[in-house]
Amino acid sequence: MNIELKKKVMVVGGGIAGLTAAWELSRMNIDVHIVEKTCFLGGHAIKLCCKATEECQQCGACSVEKMMKNVVNESGINIHLSTEIENINRNGNFKVSLNKGPEYIDSRLCTNCGACFEKCPEHGAIIQGFSKNNTPLYGIMEEKISLIKDFCKDICPEGAISLDKKGSSENLDVDAVIIATGFQPFDPEIEGTYGYNKFDNVISGMDLEESLRQNGCALKPSDGEKPEKVAFIQCVGSRDERLGNLWCSQVCCPYALRMAEVIKNKNPETEIFMFYMDIQNTGNSFPVFYEKCKSDMEFIRNIPIDIIPVENNRVKIRYLNDNDGSPLIEEFDLVVLSIGITPGEDSNKLSKIFDIALDEDGFISNGNKFNNSSTSSRGIFLAGTAGGPKNIADSMANAGQAVCEALNYLGGEEPIQ
Amino acid sequence: MTHKTGTDINEISINTDVLVIGGGLTGVKSACEIASSGYKVILAEKSPELGLKNFEDQDIQDLIKKTASDSNIDVFTNTNIVSSAGVSGDYSVWLLKKDEIFEKKVGSIVIATDSSIKVLDKEYGLSLSDKVLSQSQIESILASDKEKIKGKSIAVIAGFAQEGNPIVTQRVLNSVLAMENISGSTVFVYMNNIKVASSGLERLCKEGRDKGAIFFKLTDTPEIIESDEKIKITFIDPVLRKKLEVEHDLIVIEEQITLDPINKNLANLLRIDLGPQDFLQKENVHMLPVRTNREGIFVAGSSRKVCNLTNAWVDVDNVVLELKNFLADGTKKIPGDKAVIDAEKCTICLTCYRCCPHGAIYWEGDKAVISPIACQGCGICASECPMNAIQLGGYNDSFISDEIKAKTESKTAKPNIIAFCCENSAYEAGLMAESFKMEMPEGLNIIKVPCAGKIDLDFIMSSFAQGADGVLVMTCHNGNCKSEKGNIFAGWRVAEAQRKLEVIGLDKERLAFVTLASNMGKDFCRVVNEMEERIKKSG
Ligand SMILES: Cc1cc2nc3c(=O)[nH]c(=O)nc-3n(C[C@H](O)[C@H](O)[C@H](O)COP(=O)(O)OP(=O)(O)OC[C@H]3O[C@@H](n4cnc5c(N)ncnc54)[C@H](O)[C@@H]3O)c2cc1C
Ligand code: SF4
Ligand code: SF4
Repeated sequence: MNIELKKKVMVVGGGIAGLTAAWELSRMNIDVHIVEKTCFLGGHAIKLCCKATEECQQCGACSVEKMMKNVVNESGINIHLSTEIENINRNGNFKVSLNKGPEYIDSRLCTNCGACFEKCPEHGAIIQGFSKNNTPLYGIMEEKISLIKDFCKDICPEGAISLDKKGSSENLDVDAVIIATGFQPFDPEIEGTYGYNKFDNVISGMDLEESLRQNGCALKPSDGEKPEKVAFIQCVGSRDERLGNLWCSQVCCPYALRMAEVIKNKNPETEIFMFYMDIQNTGNSFPVFYEKCKSDMEFIRNIPIDIIPVENNRVKIRYLNDNDGSPLIEEFDLVVLSIGITPGEDSNKLSKIFDIALDEDGFISNGNKFNNSSTSSRGIFLAGTAGGPKNIADSMANAGQAVCEALNYLGGEEPIQ
Repeated sequence: MTHKTGTDINEISINTDVLVIGGGLTGVKSACEIASSGYKVILAEKSPELGLKNFEDQDIQDLIKKTASDSNIDVFTNTNIVSSAGVSGDYSVWLLKKDEIFEKKVGSIVIATDSSIKVLDKEYGLSLSDKVLSQSQIESILASDKEKIKGKSIAVIAGFAQEGNPIVTQRVLNSVLAMENISGSTVFVYMNNIKVASSGLERLCKEGRDKGAIFFKLTDTPEIIESDEKIKITFIDPVLRKKLEVEHDLIVIEEQITLDPINKNLANLLRIDLGPQDFLQKENVHMLPVRTNREGIFVAGSSRKVCNLTNAWVDVDNVVLELKNFLADGTKKIPGDKAVIDAEKCTICLTCYRCCPHGAIYWEGDKAVISPIACQGCGICASECPMNAIQLGGYNDSFISDEIKAKTESKTAKPNIIAFCCENSAYEAGLMAESFKMEMPEGLNIIKVPCAGKIDLDFIMSSFAQGADGVLVMTCHNGNCKSEKGNIFAGWRVAEAQRKLEVIGLDKERLAFVTLASNMGKDFCRVVNEMEERIKKSG
């Protein structure tokens, strides 16, 4: 096929939706540019744990690992890390100017040996990615650079680190755009009465995901021991009129139930309590799965009032009794706040840059009643949670749809073998 | 199908016509989109008409018209599929219309069966009447005869006779809202778990409440008593914490969305795995969104999950994308890593035909042949064949024996552990453990296999014979195997090998079967270290 005719598509955001879109486009012989603002590909979903007991629970986390591998090994996909879109000019196609952050770690030299990360004296100045497919596997936080100037001078045996690097700008001409900029997990500190970041053993669903992924089991942050009694509080930051968050995040019931089952499976003695409003389905086998959950844990249809610390780093949850409304108190070793999905932090900015509309909740709105991947602007498509809450599988399917629509828009490319 | 043999890659030409089964909205949309991607479509619908009755959206009506008149779409109504043969890229299907059976040849099949609806009145101990209405009945009253419910007290009940889903909730909430807009009527909603996990439903709930509908969220089914005049509902109110009795003029009963009863038959005919509740897709993340266990057969819309039009359209687009990849321009390049049967050794015992999870084996005369297009290279057949007549291109037996030999000899560190790892899961987990600098036994040797289904009993036994101190068989979790049951076969073989070890007086604990996912580096590390411990302890 004639190189001149090869179409170019820019995918904004390198989470699972963006990765899937990039991969599917490249399979269709399209030149792809992924623009990711952080220094790692994978977005939120690459941090999630496997939720299998003896059986796979269909959480989809491993699909992300697989897609990462596909993408980083595909030469037709150009990856721009630590890069944001400065502006965009529409004149037939899209002329994009990119703002690239400094590449402190030279990816061609770095061997992922981890020396910088392991020995770093400043916590959080050098960070580690979540997947072996992140290259480099380490990143340097711009705001902490002044603290590690000396340390970085000769820590890297390959000489891959150089803190004097400057950012640069680059221009791209593309024929279509897929926006896959994702979501922001709800910040549990906003629910002040639950004491997140105040009490050690009150963690978020995201923290539990990361802990299960990195440690293989759930541990109490206070002492690194296994908890004996765990509570999950559902709908934290979702379905909350007070906060103006009038949507169900769709993923927190499934992840909470599945992780609770993992904890139970690894340690059958653990007592688990679920505080909930309405339990949402997990998939086609939900009725069977839900029965199992009901026999393994205590379901309480009440969203607790607050959490109070008690001795030994335990916490008390105050809630109302299901039956007679009397106030009750229960003590726990670990409380998990099931935080949900809120609009991506750059929604407003992106809406201006691309001239696309947002919906009343602040997600990017779809331009057609039946089509979740269209936007209000031609040639710009939408994939994943940027358009509203979705799980991994739906984000991927939505990305497939965006690619199909983009191909139609581009006038039908010849598929490659 | 014609084969052209190149150096190591074969070029094969395949049929690019597509059969779409089901002429509901998903089927119609699929046919249209596939045809406009340049493939010829045969659309088979069992009823006399395409589309959905009473669905008045203009775009949808246009779509149905377009499908009926598209020269690239052959529409067969009143038509059922009665039999099928062949493999991906070359299917024969026999269709029955009136009394005539005819054959069609296609390269790919898209299943778009519809859902239907079941009223759950009996489950609530009621029968439909002028006081007891189904969800569908209230919808048609709201569309045409609103006066009928003016000034009435209406109970709406859902979530007790079935677990429900967001599609059910959406229908209920839409009619609640419409009823609230009729002057003088009051609506009471009795619901168990409200399934709001879909775009806009929480807001719809709030609108309903703001408009004046009263929601009772209950966990137990309320008592419903029908008298001549009224419907009386008795329940414990969770807010007031006391027993309440409310009288209504009407009650609206929820409906269940059920699957097309032909699903089971289709699964049988097309040799695809049924999932939970008879959906036409196994719950396996590798199949998502629209794949089945057979290459070239895809599922869309209600055939694979309860869905609305917006969800179904996502599936249709994904089917089109899959077809563009699979059919392309009708020529396919096949890499040489597929399984091949040695006809000399084959005794036609049917083992391979039965155990192939991808339906990739067919008969040419009295010879079993593996379709290189349908074959996914899992190697289950190669390991199961009692005559040892099947070899897998990339991983033939001598290749793996050489690996075992090389690995046991090259590492002198003791104890020597051989870990057979599925490349989709455990092998990746091992790489992850390495990348994250997790500490692992020095004597660990990883042997990558395309699927745990390719781990022969022989490989395990010969590892011990070659001097391995421990052997690990590491596969995907149950339900996550790309080939559905490769890990199950591996599990059986490990159990068999353990019996053999006992017979020859070896500690059977030196052989372990473990399931992992690709993102479980830490667990990989724990498992291999535990094996080392165990061997060291037992000396
Ligand atoms: C605690 C928790 C647990 C979960 N568990 C599960 C689960 O078990 N199973 C499941 O299916 N789903 C789960 N989910 C949901 C899952 O995380 C999402 O479905 C998935 O991450 C969505 O992917 P995405 O690509 O749309 O967005 P993201 O993962 O948010 O990715 C977006 C990417 O875009 C980048 N980006 C953002 N703005 C810009 C910009 N302006 N320019 C360039 N790049 C930008 C971001 O850095 C990010 O890399 C969970 C969610 C949470 C919060
Ligand atoms: S990560 Fe999720 S989908 Fe993958 S094996 Fe584990 S439970 Fe199954
Ligand atoms: S998924 Fe469950 S926890 Fe999350 S917002 Fe919806 S109802 Fe609440």
